[in-house]
Amino acid sequence: MNLEVYNPKNTEEVLDLLNSYKRDAKLIAGGTDLVLDLREKKIKPKAIIDISNLDELKYIKKDDNYIEIGACTTFTDIEKSEILTDNLKGLKKAASEVGSPQIRNRGTIGGNICNASPAADIVPPLLSLDATVVIKSKENIREVSLEKIFLNKGKIDIKEDEMVSSVKFKNIKGKLGFYKLGLRKALAISKIATAIYIEKEDNICKEIRIGNGALGRHGLRERKVEDYLINKEINEAIIEASATLLSGEIEKRLKGRSSLEFKKEAVKGTFKKAFKDAL
Amino acid sequence: MKEIKFNVNGKTHKLNIKEDERLVDTLRNRLGLTGVKEGCSEGECGACTVIMDGETVTSCTVLTFQAKDSEIITIEGINGENKIHPIQKAFLDEGAVQCGFCTPGMILSAKVLLDKNPEPTREEARKAISGNLCRCTGYNKIVDAIIKASKYLKREGN
Ligand SMILES: Cc1cc2nc3c(=O)[nH]c(=O)nc-3n(C[C@H](O)[C@H](O)[C@H](O)COP(=O)(O)OP(=O)(O)OC[C@H]3O[C@@H](n4cnc5c(N)ncnc54)[C@H](O)[C@@H]3O)c2cc1C
Ligand code: FES
Ligand code: FES
Repeated sequence: MNLEVYNPKNTEEVLDLLNSYKRDAKLIAGGTDLVLDLREKKIKPKAIIDISNLDELKYIKKDDNYIEIGACTTFTDIEKSEILTDNLKGLKKAASEVGSPQIRNRGTIGGNICNASPAADIVPPLLSLDATVVIKSKENIREVSLEKIFLNKGKIDIKEDEMVSSVKFKNIKGKLGFYKLGLRKALAISKIATAIYIEKEDNICKEIRIGNGALGRHGLRERKVEDYLINKEINEAIIEASATLLSGEIEKRLKGRSSLEFKKEAVKGTFKKAFKDAL
Repeated sequence: MKEIKFNVNGKTHKLNIKEDERLVDTLRNRLGLTGVKEGCSEGECGACTVIMDGETVTSCTVLTFQAKDSEIITIEGINGENKIHPIQKAFLDEGAVQCGFCTPGMILSAKVLLDKNPEPTREEARKAISGNLCRCTGYNKIVDAIIKASKYLKREGN
């Protein structure tokens, strides 16, 4: 088999290893996705590089413009963070509803993004925050909009010698809401997750971003519904009409899938709940 | 093989492990700590829960080489000696153990909760064990036991 495992001491060492192994290497953070993939032989790396112990990738920090979260920050860290204030509760809520306490203690924000599951729970709130992903390689640092990083189910646009080092977003004025519909209470890969960011003035919707999970090949923004809501007065009728519009979008997107009948109805409920959570 | 050093139940171990060995396998097969149970093997059931650097983890989703230099506590080490721990006593007194397969993981989840929050509500106790599945008890008695354990621990003054 010839598998080598590494415990690098800092990001530089990680990037050196990635640079020499290229696609034969896999990073492991919390391992909550990777260990299962390894066991099921879905992946057969020649090297596994542990980043779970790198404190320099575990932080949540805020300056005048941005909030930045290190790739190896766990869901538990996010859930408990005091830097993430009340208007960002949608992000904390998404983290606090992942899997179980044990999974939240290990699972990381970077792993959640890079695993690129359509149902990755931290993705919808980050999409609604219009987050940017900071990607590093030995030679380069680049920043990409999270929305643009997903190529397909399970596939993101990072090169074999690159790693995600953090995620950042502009400090918000409005409020972020989140609602997830899961099958079981504690352990449910979300079947639908909706995050909504709203900035309003005199009850007029001045800015809105809607991120959905498990309603497509990967998390995505619902631009049609956003365009519909912008500059409208927020009231029950408008929320209802937006939910119907969204349901129609989902119907087009999931055409031919067995989950369609359920999801096109259920999404109305998750949308309305996430919306109210953001008010 | 890869050599790693870590601390389990207060003792330092230097071991040669397979590169892709999971922590659950190392603890059970190399160290004989069979109180660590393997149920689902995919992070769902919590039977393999251990405490790693103060937090509960499912040892079937951790590779042992990642545990380098860490401190691990299994049910065998919960009291440091062969004495019964107040949480264990509370589980027995409340009849919270039936087949017992979930019990080590439950007790370790309860321990981390009580270490951080000595007087949890029933709701907090439920949340703390939400990653530990039990097929037998229906959970109520386990929650009763955690609340009772908080009283035992208080009486002991720790
Ligand atoms: C029982 C159980 C319940 C779960 N419940 C949920 C749930 O409710 N919601 C949810 O969204 N997910 C859930 N998950 C999935 C999983 O926990 C998350 O996706 C988690 O965020 C993965 O993070 P990790 O650090 O464990 O990733 P790992 O398993 O370590 O890595 C995942 C992938 O990302 C890559 N990777 C990791 N970090 C980086 C990085 N910094 N740069 C580049 N690549 C990287 C790895 O190479 C690997 O391919 C669950 C998993 C289990 C086992
Ligand atoms: S055996 Fe590890 S969680 Fe079930
Ligand atoms: S006592 Fe049997 S699984 Fe909990």
